Amino acid sequence: MHVKQDNLRGAANILSDGGLHPLAAMFGADETKRGGGLAIYCLFYDAQKRDIKTLKASFEDENDLSYQSLTSLMPAAAWYERELHDMFGFNPLGHPDLRPLVLHETFPFEFHPLRKKYAKDFQIRGKRDYEMMTSQGEGLYEVPVGPIHAGIIEPGHFRFSQAGEAMLQLDAKLFFTHRGIEKAVEGLTIDQALPIIERICGACSVSNTLSFCQAVEKLSEAVVPRRAWLIRTLAQELERLYNHVGDTGNVCAGVGFSPIISMGARLKEYLQQLNESFTGNRFLRGLIVPGGVSMDVDDRLLDEIKDVLREVEATYKDMVHIMWEQSNFLNRIQTTGRIKNKTAFDLAMVGVGARASGMTRDARRDMGYGIYDDFDFDVITEQNGDVEARIKVRIGEVYESIKIIKQVMRELRHNDSEEIKVELGELKKLEGSWGITESPRGDNLHWLMLDEEGKLDRLFVRSASYPNWPALTVAVQGDIIPDFPLINKSFELCYACIDR
Amino acid sequence: MIELQEEFIKIAMCLGQAIVLLFLAPLVSGIVKKTKATLQNRVGSSIFQEYYDIFKWWSKPTMLTPYTSLIFRMAPCVYFVTTLVAACMLPNFFGGQITFGDVFVFVYLFAIGRFFMAVSSMDAATAFGGMGGSREVYIAAFVEPVTMLAVLSNVLHTNSTNIAGMSLKAGEINFTVAGVLTAVAFFLVLLAENSRIPVDNPDTHLELTMIHECMTLEYSGRLLSLIHWASQLKLLVFVMIFSMLYLPINLPVVIKVLLTALLIGLIETLNNKMRLFKVRIYLAAAALMLILAVVAQ
Repeated sequence: MHVKQDNLRGAANILSDGGLHPLAAMFGADETKRGGGLAIYCLFYDAQKRDIKTLKASFEDENDLSYQSLTSLMPAAAWYERELHDMFGFNPLGHPDLRPLVLHETFPFEFHPLRKKYAKDFQIRGKRDYEMMTSQGEGLYEVPVGPIHAGIIEPGHFRFSQAGEAMLQLDAKLFFTHRGIEKAVEGLTIDQALPIIERICGACSVSNTLSFCQAVEKLSEAVVPRRAWLIRTLAQELERLYNHVGDTGNVCAGVGFSPIISMGARLKEYLQQLNESFTGNRFLRGLIVPGGVSMDVDDRLLDEIKDVLREVEATYKDMVHIMWEQSNFLNRIQTTGRIKNKTAFDLAMVGVGARASGMTRDARRDMGYGIYDDFDFDVITEQNGDVEARIKVRIGEVYESIKIIKQVMRELRHNDSEEIKVELGELKKLEGSWGITESPRGDNLHWLMLDEEGKLDRLFVRSASYPNWPALTVAVQGDIIPDFPLINKSFELCYACIDR
Repeated sequence: MIELQEEFIKIAMCLGQAIVLLFLAPLVSGIVKKTKATLQNRVGSSIFQEYYDIFKWWSKPTMLTPYTSLIFRMAPCVYFVTTLVAACMLPNFFGGQITFGDVFVFVYLFAIGRFFMAVSSMDAATAFGGMGGSREVYIAAFVEPVTMLAVLSNVLHTNSTNIAGMSLKAGEINFTVAGVLTAVAFFLVLLAENSRIPVDNPDTHLELTMIHECMTLEYSGRLLSLIHWASQLKLLVFVMIFSMLYLPINLPVVIKVLLTALLIGLIETLNNKMRLFKVRIYLAAAALMLILAVVAQ
């Protein structure tokens, strides 16, 4: 659907159909060079049709970028609109909280880096206000944490408003290490952009690359061979496996439950070593390319995967058994960090966080991409939305992943075609295209458009952590501050994914 | 004149004991850490690592923010000295029975150290320090009466409030109901007093969950070294008291101390940290056991 700027809110209301089709992404594009002015794209999931609906709103005059904000209609739009405000200068009227999001104090207010008029190497320093949300009252106080943390993690500043130990409100200041990848890949060819896309995030490099490749492949007539899809599916599930296994152990670090932390770390290491013998990289990089995969698998590797999986599955079962035996541990995780189903729905959460709050969303099933329809697996959901539910979903998904890998390997052994890559040929220009994959953290959505020369004109990356970060600030309300690390770890949100 | 000389020798023996314990304390902490590492399938650091750490901090410069007062510099020294004095009061292993070791003084020596640490935690005016101080005091409010009960239970049994006197009769404690209950309860108190799992986690880097460590975040150099050393000494003193007065087994003290250290490592591996507000229930359980023990006598 294509509308004028004044009709964006109305059209979005119709397309979302009262929340039946949640907002998947919202981003801007600068089409002034082609005389199209600026544009806002809204993407909506349509699980019934296994499709994503696109809404484009044109802004012909680049000096009048006002429109009626969508946030009151769909709270999920809040962050997207703040980002549009920063990166393009769009002005959503009636937005309840239009503080800066991506650009911090050191950038001037009128600087909008994703506009085409700013060159890639444009340098600017300036000043703007970035106020954290605070609360005032008798006996209330604030606890600032970060951006530099005690552990080896990425930067993020958290501001807790406290009444004693109880958290009243949490405000997160993120995007400290924003790399401007979306801008950096503009004007690059697909092949030049690929290694950059692969490095958006370590933990979901397969997922990001595959989303990107799918978006590219949709612009071509070519059909990716089945053997390539088998190998891609194998890589995706191995990625999910090493993340989920490591994260199960890592959650326990929030409560100092050390035997499980060690077991999780050990199993993750086995799986990452397996990744290395698969692709030569512990994060499975270098495997997925547009049109297929770059390397084939042989029986020796399949045997190795089988051995490692047997070992991992057995030890993981032990580990889970120990966890559920520990009543003190259960006491910590039950009812902690609760997200209600309605909240998850409003924020259009994805991945483990959404499924733990009773939303049955999984791009593997809902979007039916690749060859997932041919395999037997369940989408694990829980209803409680607390830390325990998120751990349970992760544990369930580990077993489902192993199930899928076994089916994929069976077929790989009998599939003796040698075709693992297809030439894409001519790609469609000036046409928007999206790709989606279910990463360990939720669905990663990429949207891209090529310019007249076949180079990237606009790439938008909506990673799984993006819609889930605001949920964290809701989940902590009503809990006490010593439980925050536990709640945070149960979401396993990624900084790099949003600092794209 | 001879009496004076005897007193002098006694004092020297007390101090000598405290200093021996002071230099053994990092080793005991090292053994606890090694036990934990082994139980978690890790190699872990050497059991002498704690000595290296103390030496490392000792040789580093002390950074102070300009906003801190005298209290901030004083607190680690008070904490260190009170713990050292408490170590003097343990039953003397050089053989002398020294009379100044009243058990009530002993308990409240630790309270002085804790008071100064809690006050100093607020001195640098950081959010974490205040958080740690408030939690430490919150837990202390529950630990203190329970510790007194544990002491009382032992006093009833030995008819003495002098640690040396108590230790003379401690050998008589055997597997009576009161003896076992008191021992278990005192062990729970020991874990709480020394910031171990399940009450606190000495190994975490997560500031928001810390209790004792939270108060030390602003310290560096020698002051930090003093705090850590004092904490290790405190652990050893509690382990000694537990082994000598409460553990109803007849074994040499060294063996009992080692066993207790291994037990702490085991408990810390088997458990995870409990919810902050559940700590009072944990201590209430210890108190209940002690009341039963007192009644049983």
